[in-house]
Amino acid sequence: MPTLEIEGKVFEVDGDGFLSEPEIWNEEVAQLIANHDGIGEMNEKHWAIVKIIRNNYEEKGMAPMIRNICKETGVRLREIYELFPLGPARGACRVAGLPKPDGCV
Amino acid sequence: MENLTKETIDKGLEVLDTKNDGKLLTHLNSCVHCGLCADSCTYYRANPEAKYIPATKVDLVASIYRKYQTFGGKAFPKIVGARTLNEETTKEMVDLLFGACTMCARCVSHCSIGVDITYVIKKGREMLSNMGMIPETLQSTINSAIESGNNMSISEKDFVETLEWLEEDLQFEVDDDDAKIYLDQKGKDILYTLNPREPKFFPLSISAMAKVFHVAGESWTISTKMYDVTNYAYYSGNYEEAAIITQRLYDEAENLESKKVVLAECGHGSRAFRWEGPNYIKKEYPFDVITSVELLASYLNEGRIKVDPNKIPEKVTLHDPCNLARSGGIWKEQRYILNECVSDFVEMTPHGIDNLCCGGGGGQLAMSEYNDRRMAIGEIKAEQIRATGAKIVATPCHNCVDQLSQLNVTFKLGIKIMTLGEIVADAIVMENEK
Repeated sequence: MPTLEIEGKVFEVDGDGFLSEPEIWNEEVAQLIANHDGIGEMNEKHWAIVKIIRNNYEEKGMAPMIRNICKETGVRLREIYELFPLGPARGACRVAGLPKPDGCV
Repeated sequence: MENLTKETIDKGLEVLDTKNDGKLLTHLNSCVHCGLCADSCTYYRANPEAKYIPATKVDLVASIYRKYQTFGGKAFPKIVGARTLNEETTKEMVDLLFGACTMCARCVSHCSIGVDITYVIKKGREMLSNMGMIPETLQSTINSAIESGNNMSISEKDFVETLEWLEEDLQFEVDDDDAKIYLDQKGKDILYTLNPREPKFFPLSISAMAKVFHVAGESWTISTKMYDVTNYAYYSGNYEEAAIITQRLYDEAENLESKKVVLAECGHGSRAFRWEGPNYIKKEYPFDVITSVELLASYLNEGRIKVDPNKIPEKVTLHDPCNLARSGGIWKEQRYILNECVSDFVEMTPHGIDNLCCGGGGGQLAMSEYNDRRMAIGEIKAEQIRATGAKIVATPCHNCVDQLSQLNVTFKLGIKIMTLGEIVADAIVMENEK
């Protein structure tokens, strides 16, 4: 199984760098993945997006619709793509510790 | 890998039954090992090992055919290079046919004698599918589509709420409270499809097409039951599942009495529904099928929308999706659109039907276990883009968009990636604009 090492910490991941064990996720892990992706120190908007994705995953087993992310965080759609340059799936969902979503992402 | 049963092996070998398949027989026996295909393949270019040469992949399938269906293969397998279908060869097939081919078909157009290499690769994938050896990561996306009706398992409620939200956005954008995103309307000229990643994560391309439809005065609708343009079973080689997905869109077009199905910007989806679909379900379509690229070009050509290229002054290049251009015959339309809509269009080298795959085709985006290879071949694409100096890369395929977005970040290209619908929508001149 591939691993991802960030600042001395080693995580088991899939080939795309999504956590193999989503349950080991916590805020420290989120910040480390964000550091690895070049996002740097996450701001309030980053955290709001990540927490909504994480909560939805824990309740429903999947990432929320982008509409719900926008509605619940108040962050504009285009700004989400700026905050997470890899996009909501490969960027934000990965930071939120979700497995890779199905489909063309 | 577990031991293969005779039953499993027989299921795989069924696919190689050439008695009634002259095409397969021809393409399994024709390779002259000239090696011209090697350099056409980005897997080989990124990592020049013999196993990555397209001819080697063809020979892997052909060697099994020889073992079971030729006198030489049965009597002197070593001499004629015939191999048994067993754990070892199956493992190699999974690794090379699923894990080291985007089915971009560039090798086919470079083959000195015209071997349809991807046809043989698809046959190999079909063998593995029959044997229950489709990579789980790829099958997962197909299962989502079969079970939920779309490959991201979006619920109908979530889908409808998203489109209603986009409709509000459209009304604001075009400054018209009567602008609509029509859902489940019968008897419209166009049934428009989507890639599920649009409503789920990337809806700007839906907004763009809705704006274009509004300005063109189009009669159109989107189905809330079956809108998914993708068909990942085309990649897995499970044609029973491919038929189920095709039949659903066919049924919905019939149900809504649509005159024309317009396929969203999706390379494999366009190919799977338009060109392969009638073969999957073994009947012709009673409705027309075109891609949105052709539709956008026709709007411009017929003057149904007006555009101003000065609205997009940045240098723009174009990435041709393999399934649309090389294997789908659509490569002039996107150039016509860009020449009309942007002021500085520059081609990549090579381009059009000789374009290099982005690296995400063939189901590679889904199969994360081969991610390192995908990024290695993607680097060739990244450098091709960088050499153009473009700030915007337009591409009529959501799968390519995702791969290019990852290349953009990984290789620090500093580009913006847009669909053609987004380009056209940005260039549109509204009636009330001076």
